[in-house]
Amino acid sequence: MRRLKVFVSLIKDSLDVITRGSKKYHLWMGFLTLFMLIGMYCYSFQLDEGLSVTGMTDRVSWGLYISNFTFLVGVAAAAVMLVMPTYVLKDIDFKQAVLIGEGLAVAALIMCLAFVVADMGGPSVLWHMIPGIGVFNFPNSMLTWDVIVLNGYLFLNISIPFYILFRHYQGKKSKTSVYVPGALLSVFWAVAIHLVTAFLYQGLQARPFWNNALLGPRFLASAFAAGPALIIIILAIIRTNTAFKIDDKTIKKLALVVTVAAQINLIMLISELFKEFYAPTHHSESAYYLFFGLNGKTALLPWIWTSITLNVTATIILTFHKLRNNFKFLFFACFILFVAIWIEKGFGLIVPGFIPGPYGKIAEYTPTIIEIGVTLGIWSLGAFIFTMLAKTAIEIETGKLRYKK
Amino acid sequence: MSEKNKKWFSLNLNNNSNKTSTSCGCGKTSGGCKTHNQEELDENVFFNAAVDASVGEQRPKDGIDQVFDVKMDRRTAFKKLTASLLIGAGAVSTSCSTLASDESKEKAQIDWEEQFKGNYKLMSNEEKEATVTRLVRSYQLRTGKTLNMSSVDAQKDVLYGYAFNISKCQGYMDCVNACVEENNQDRNSQMQYIRIHEMKDGKGFNFNESDDNYYHEVPAEGHFYMGTQCFHCDNPPCVEVCPVQATWREDDGLVVVDYDWCVGCRYCMAACPYDGRRFNWSKPEVPEEQINKNQHYLGNRMRKKGVMEKCTFCVQRSRAGKNPACVEACPTGARIFGNLLDPNSTIRWVLENKKVFRLKEDLGTEPKFWYFMD
Amino acid sequence: MNNKNQGYIFFSFFLILVVALTSCKHEEGEYHSIIDKIKNKSKNYHGVTLSSESYLGDDKMIKITEDGHTFLIPERKGKLKSFKCSECHSKPLSQINDEDLKKAHWDIKIVHANEKTMNCLTCHNSNNMDELKSITGKSIDFNRSYNLCNQCHTKQFDDWKGGAHGKRIGGWAPPRASLSCVNCHNPHNPSFEKKWPERYNSQKTKERK
Repeated sequence: MRRLKVFVSLIKDSLDVITRGSKKYHLWMGFLTLFMLIGMYCYSFQLDEGLSVTGMTDRVSWGLYISNFTFLVGVAAAAVMLVMPTYVLKDIDFKQAVLIGEGLAVAALIMCLAFVVADMGGPSVLWHMIPGIGVFNFPNSMLTWDVIVLNGYLFLNISIPFYILFRHYQGKKSKTSVYVPGALLSVFWAVAIHLVTAFLYQGLQARPFWNNALLGPRFLASAFAAGPALIIIILAIIRTNTAFKIDDKTIKKLALVVTVAAQINLIMLISELFKEFYAPTHHSESAYYLFFGLNGKTALLPWIWTSITLNVTATIILTFHKLRNNFKFLFFACFILFVAIWIEKGFGLIVPGFIPGPYGKIAEYTPTIIEIGVTLGIWSLGAFIFTMLAKTAIEIETGKLRYKK
Repeated sequence: MSEKNKKWFSLNLNNNSNKTSTSCGCGKTSGGCKTHNQEELDENVFFNAAVDASVGEQRPKDGIDQVFDVKMDRRTAFKKLTASLLIGAGAVSTSCSTLASDESKEKAQIDWEEQFKGNYKLMSNEEKEATVTRLVRSYQLRTGKTLNMSSVDAQKDVLYGYAFNISKCQGYMDCVNACVEENNQDRNSQMQYIRIHEMKDGKGFNFNESDDNYYHEVPAEGHFYMGTQCFHCDNPPCVEVCPVQATWREDDGLVVVDYDWCVGCRYCMAACPYDGRRFNWSKPEVPEEQINKNQHYLGNRMRKKGVMEKCTFCVQRSRAGKNPACVEACPTGARIFGNLLDPNSTIRWVLENKKVFRLKEDLGTEPKFWYFMD
Repeated sequence: MNNKNQGYIFFSFFLILVVALTSCKHEEGEYHSIIDKIKNKSKNYHGVTLSSESYLGDDKMIKITEDGHTFLIPERKGKLKSFKCSECHSKPLSQINDEDLKKAHWDIKIVHANEKTMNCLTCHNSNNMDELKSITGKSIDFNRSYNLCNQCHTKQFDDWKGGAHGKRIGGWAPPRASLSCVNCHNPHNPSFEKKWPERYNSQKTKERK
């Protein structure tokens, strides 16, 4: 009963915290709300007329939505890069950033779920997937594995930080016996979510561009590069705009994580390029289309080459200690790395998997305004949720928000 | 049925006295449901029919208690829960409208029940017949015409196989036309299950350079033709990946889709190596006079937007002993269809005596569609 | 704490192992190839109850058995417009020319092989116009005219008997009914003209949406 009282008070106080802030904060939230409304308006078209309002066709049946979904699963998994050092390696430098990382994971996962629902042809019958009242094709379908691991990870990332914040809100210390097992589980689970998402594509023998052994490890490497890069940028913003203290050491250690992951990612890219282009087979057609264009169809060339350039630039900048420790260079490198990996995992992976089609036909994919609108709406939703969570967490962690009996 | 019973299930709070109160279940604060008085008898009959349709053999005994005291396993319990949800919610939605006619109420009830039914693969025969009845009735209410929909299961000792003679195909595309007409495919997007590829002689099976959009006199000099469609694999990758088991391989070898169960995730489309599956990106439309009214639940009945569909080897025809529309329509006899288990069938003779091959054999999908040449 | 942590790690590994082992996809009774499946399942083949008898329409059929294959083909003589031939061809051709009979099929051009191989008498029996004759002079009934074709086109004949050549009518269920050679090929001009396809797909150029 008492806990319920505290919970209700926490909700009330968080609402208080969320709705109060500086002018910048209100502008930011207003901007996000505007885009969310635009997204909802675009989605209403999609509900009305069906998915024909998007650019997807029988040939390229997964597009912008699933690209973003794939990328965001990686970002969510990257929270583990903060959790693991904190709880397993007991590195206190990371302790402050953990809650922010887990909040990012929650926001990213909600975005993932939103993208999946947006991509469905029949969102009103998604209850068909619920085991018991529907049919859940586990363990055959990798999609069901993905549903389990994503929802499990979401639950872990909501419950553990919630427990910690709940205790801190009451001015009490959180018990390690409660959250450490969960944290450890979430380390394995984070690897699992991105590996399972990779297996979704890796298991399709019909798509040779995806059907290779390196896809899963590549996903992990790029996730651990892009996710912490985003966290670095977010921590920088939080540092400058709130009273939350984050040491330089934390950011520098995170930067090291990003660097190593980015280097591994590049090595994997080189391995893939070698496999496709040293002795090209019929199965290399997709890679040809992506990197060089096929039969005059070159729509993806600017995307992938921008991505590779940014990726290589960022990795080089991060490799040099002097540049990495200079925060201006670091934030720039993180930003371009994030964009590069977003392109690479989205347009550079999902779309070329479908081109050329099963009988060699090339049909190019261009997202429509509606698709872009819904995508922006969902990204705004994620940013909105993250801001709410982060603000509350910061207020509690800095001691400003406490339970008043 | 007792008065008490009716009040419970149909939320028909008998307020003859206070028509303007808010005690009606539909939530109207004024006016109330004017349908209470004149429709009491019909609701009774209607309720019985609805219970019959949803709960099937478990005929309700007199009184609520006897129904609720029955011990049952979880599956039956779920069935009954769903049934009562259907009846109750449907009754709420129908009885709370003031202006709707009997027909539209029945239609609303049917739509409600259709929304919450289960996966066809798991239905008993009575449930299958019930859903077919509902669909036929729904079409009748909407258009005034009747359909002939069947839910016949796979026969024993039947495994369908298909062979395509590349030397005989001249690219006429009679098969494509017949398929579209037989299977009520969307006319707006010109959906076709069958693709005919025109390939140049001397280059082998070079699908990359084939043309499946030709429009000139056929057969063109120096070219040959071959058709592809769903190959009804015996190890179908599409069946493996469906998260809700909306697509499965029947005992007679046909890979079918339950259109009402599909959630539209399109994972199966990504998994199919043969471009066998089609998605309804928008609402499929067929002109009324061209609708083929001989339908099968798993075959050519009208689909809705956001669901997958594919060639079913014309299940509405093949399970009645007829050839699929493409086989029937081909004037050159390039398409051969039959029962692989019958040692005297033509398809078996082809497999045993002609040099047959299948596409993308290395993928391990075991398609039941062979190609051969004279 | 370390022991506890280790304990948790072990437990999670064990859990993963259990999940992985119980997720095996192969079911009982699955065959690795369709040919194995066909071989195994045909062992107990009892026949089907379906029949394509009703789909044959009103056409009269005759049953033939050639080389172990038994099937129905359409009866031919009832369909020939001018059968019996002897009603007009009672006298030799040169004598009919003078009489006042109506011209029937005087303009049949033979576009079949070449002049050295084919002329009217290759198939038609001048002594009995109601029947055809083989290369060795044996008579062949019009209902069994395929016996003429198989003298040269033995490969197509073999294919036709098996079911790989020609058009099957009715349905896939037994009894098998196929069209005979002359139902598709005009024996005087057996090849087929070019024609335009039945359909143009405007949508495929845009890719179906």
